Amino acid sequence: MTSRTMTAARRKRKPASLPMRIATGVVWVVVAADIALIGWILLTSLRDGTDILNHPFGAPTHPKFANYSKVFSDGGFGRAALNSVLVAVLSSVLAVVVAAPCAYALARRRNRVSGAMSMTFAMGLGVPGQVMVVPLFIGMAKVNLDDSQPGLILVYLGLAMPFTVYLLTGFFSGIPQVLEEAAVLDGAGALRTFTRVILPVARGGLVTAFLLQFISAWNETLFAIVLTHSQDKVTLPVALSNFVQEAQLNGLDWGAMFAGVCVVLAPMIALFSWLGSRIIQGMTVGIGK
Amino acid sequence: MSTATIQDSSRTRRARGGSASRPPVGAAPLERSRRRMFWAFTTPAVLIYVVLFLVPVGYAAWTSLYKWDGIGPKKWRGLKNYQTLWQDPIFRHSLTNTLKILLVGGLLTFAFAFALMLILREMNRKLFARSVLFFPCLVNAMVFGIAAGVLFSPTGPVNKTLEALGWSHPPQWLATEHLQTMILGTLVWTATGYYTAILMAAVDQIPEYLYEAAELDGANAFQRFRHVTLPMCWDVISVCAVLWTVSSVKIFELILMYGGSSGSQPPSDSWNTAMYVYIEAFPTASTPQLGLATAAALVSLFLVVVFTVVLRRLLRRDPVEY
Amino acid sequence: MGSSTGRGPRLLAITTAAVLAVGVSACSSSKSSSSSGSSGSGKSGGSFSYWSMWRQDEPQAKVIQAAITQFTADTGIKVNVEWTGRDVAKKIGPAMAAGKAPDMWDEGADVIYGAAAQNGNAKDLSAVLGMTIPTDNEKVSDAIPSKYFDSLPKDPDGGQHWVVPYEASTAGVFYNSADPTVSAAMTSQPATWDDFIKVCDALKAKSEPCLASEGEDSWTNGLWFDYLLNAGGVNFNDLATDKTGAGWDNPAVLKAAQQVEQLVKGGYIIPTYTATKYPAQQTNWAGGKAGFLMNGNWVTAEVAKQIPATWKYGFMLPPGATQPDSMVFGFALTKNAKNVSQAEQFMAYFLQKKTLSGISTEAGNITPRTDIPAPAELADVQKTLNAPKLRLTFDGVAGDWTTKVWNQNYLDFWHGKIDAATFVSKMKSAQVSFWKSQS
Repeated sequence: MTSRTMTAARRKRKPASLPMRIATGVVWVVVAADIALIGWILLTSLRDGTDILNHPFGAPTHPKFANYSKVFSDGGFGRAALNSVLVAVLSSVLAVVVAAPCAYALARRRNRVSGAMSMTFAMGLGVPGQVMVVPLFIGMAKVNLDDSQPGLILVYLGLAMPFTVYLLTGFFSGIPQVLEEAAVLDGAGALRTFTRVILPVARGGLVTAFLLQFISAWNETLFAIVLTHSQDKVTLPVALSNFVQEAQLNGLDWGAMFAGVCVVLAPMIALFSWLGSRIIQGMTVGIGK
Repeated sequence: MSTATIQDSSRTRRARGGSASRPPVGAAPLERSRRRMFWAFTTPAVLIYVVLFLVPVGYAAWTSLYKWDGIGPKKWRGLKNYQTLWQDPIFRHSLTNTLKILLVGGLLTFAFAFALMLILREMNRKLFARSVLFFPCLVNAMVFGIAAGVLFSPTGPVNKTLEALGWSHPPQWLATEHLQTMILGTLVWTATGYYTAILMAAVDQIPEYLYEAAELDGANAFQRFRHVTLPMCWDVISVCAVLWTVSSVKIFELILMYGGSSGSQPPSDSWNTAMYVYIEAFPTASTPQLGLATAAALVSLFLVVVFTVVLRRLLRRDPVEY
Repeated sequence: MGSSTGRGPRLLAITTAAVLAVGVSACSSSKSSSSSGSSGSGKSGGSFSYWSMWRQDEPQAKVIQAAITQFTADTGIKVNVEWTGRDVAKKIGPAMAAGKAPDMWDEGADVIYGAAAQNGNAKDLSAVLGMTIPTDNEKVSDAIPSKYFDSLPKDPDGGQHWVVPYEASTAGVFYNSADPTVSAAMTSQPATWDDFIKVCDALKAKSEPCLASEGEDSWTNGLWFDYLLNAGGVNFNDLATDKTGAGWDNPAVLKAAQQVEQLVKGGYIIPTYTATKYPAQQTNWAGGKAGFLMNGNWVTAEVAKQIPATWKYGFMLPPGATQPDSMVFGFALTKNAKNVSQAEQFMAYFLQKKTLSGISTEAGNITPRTDIPAPAELADVQKTLNAPKLRLTFDGVAGDWTTKVWNQNYLDFWHGKIDAATFVSKMKSAQVSFWKSQS
């Protein structure tokens, strides 16, 4: 890749200076600390509660998987994990399905209407979530969708609109128009052109949009805390916050608490080690667009 | 507003990326079918956006003019809720905290991100390092709040290590007076990796020959940074600044998890405006003040708008063409 | 780009997903215990909904769940219970606002008053007092001493029957009288504040901290101030609701603050107290690392698993305080409750001696029924509740005042960041601007 050859070229050009070598050392220490932190969280989740307080660095000599069965049974993490997966996947899929055609239309048709529309979507990027939290709570309750997964999915769908449309508009703008022109000459309608020609080409962008939305829905806490409370409706962040509270009241079991933390953390580790570069690319390159 | 950013930066980017400039729109059938599809394609998204996003924002603005506990009738207050906020020392403190996070946290994050970007560019296995540093921003902040509870406790690993290194009275990290600093530190740590990655992506787009030309002109490392790197990724920096403004104003779970315990709320010294909204609207053992809560939320929205406009002004540069 | 698309990480990803999936399916099949209460019995007595302040695995929840199961079997009335936890205090207001509130909920009387009763959003339950408790054949008003109601603040209609208590409690200073350092320092319970400070000095000389304290918690730590105000003849609620703030100029208030300051400045509190989270210091105390702990009497149940077998509970009030305070936990009905009679039947049902005993025998707490003995370790505490008149904790201060005026200022004071005089003046000015903002 260009970046790699570029650095290679520069490296050959100039041997690293001492300050640079020190700086590099510092960076590696920070990197190591980050990895150690995650590793420590994972290991601690397999240890006994009191043991953790007495020997914070100890290894799980007798891995205590009971911590996990405890959070899944007592903490309701099983159901919460299922809810989180359901809500995050469905809201992200819907967000992409709804936003993609709109972004495509906005990318292809540039006039005053579409300009105003793009601008309205983009303005949504600047609205902090706390502005909508009270109205959405009241509104969802009015239509009987509070404390329900469909309600939460709808809320996440709405919240996702500005960013997803914005991100995808960027992707579609990058697709050469020649493709559609050819399709239209072959007599394909707009819808057919979109589904058969454009979507396959834009698959990368759609997957990225899905991933980013999935991540933010998976971690979303404010709306989940406000909108759900039944034990069979809450998502993982709410379950975690409840579990922390409960653990405090019933004698702190740090082992089980870290097991709970890992249930929230593990899918992100898995996703990131699998699709890390795509996620980073989506969250960085997409921003500059 | 942020739109302007997106609009013109996308234009510059397209120009810079060198992707095909728009072909002459001569194909009439294409044009006609496009006009037809435009409304069909945009309507669902626009509808959802209006109903689930814009209407709630409007409803919030409307509610902020009333006194309302959500149960009884609404009582007209006009702008009095805003006046109450202004007179409430706790709200003023929350606002100060929000600004502190925005400004101090922002400066630190960008300073670190820039330094890291420069170092990472020269490193071996920089992609691996970048990935590791990036990861924390994908994790729910509650995770770090909980981990910090053990790591930084008086007998926890951090202090045990410091004691072993000869520091007899290591700081009491979790004391309430340090709460602000801990929250800020965690935030900067999680955000730095993210902004580093954005900056790296931007810098990677800078053509190598510009550096070579600068070097031929006798520019040293700092001058190359000053005259090539900085101007070339200025656009991205300004987008990042806006991005930071929005994301720092809505921080919530970090404060909730650091400060709160057993159902009690975090101490009010650590609140930001988002926390203030949450606590006014969903208080423990008292009456919800929905008017006041939405008014506080609108103040934070106003804050974002003002900062975005000011930042855009301050950071405006003519796009660099090359 | 991708530095991490190797086999290893992907394997990790798949394994994690698989583990998670197994966990999920295992648990979704094992759950549904929350609805088990409503199964069985063909009698159709209707139903009512109930949000509990307890989480499902707390002992109180188990006692209530058992009662619900039996109640449904006996009456055919189904109970749709949700084990909401302490968050019910936050959820109930918005839920009533949205018209989604349950018929019945439970919490401490201070929470019920602050969140509902003070605005007339809790139903009057006088009817329950006249009901007969099944099997005991006794009226509710005979089983629950009326002093519990008489001590409560009045709702807008002047009523005090907006809660039916099932758990009574008080707060005070707990200690292990079998701790040799404590018993050496304190031969008999101190009669004056100065005597108490001497006890602390004696403990300090033996390098055992006098007090354990959760530094972040303004409630338990505030109890010191509450009791000392009481000793000085000041009513906390009158002090807090005084819109002019003039009450804070009373020298007795300053004196109480100075006594609290003695604890803070004297170095009697366990050194790490400002830097930990609940329940770290409570655990330290249970481990014998500090002499005394101020808390509600439920603390004995909380540390039951941590204390050594040799532990012997001692209980006292801060010297000078004449009366233990009282806090009840009980059931309340929301304003728009639909299934009032079913819920009221359950309230009376739960007060049966055999049912309510579980609060003592299983949950380790005190009940308002005098004929149910408290757990052994709380026997002394229960005696203090036999007083003919009760005083509410913090004299019944409730609502937003706590969050906006009290918490932060008192914590600053308790952490030694401000002195007594500054604390008093800050409280006064914060209170004045608070009441101004409430108008």
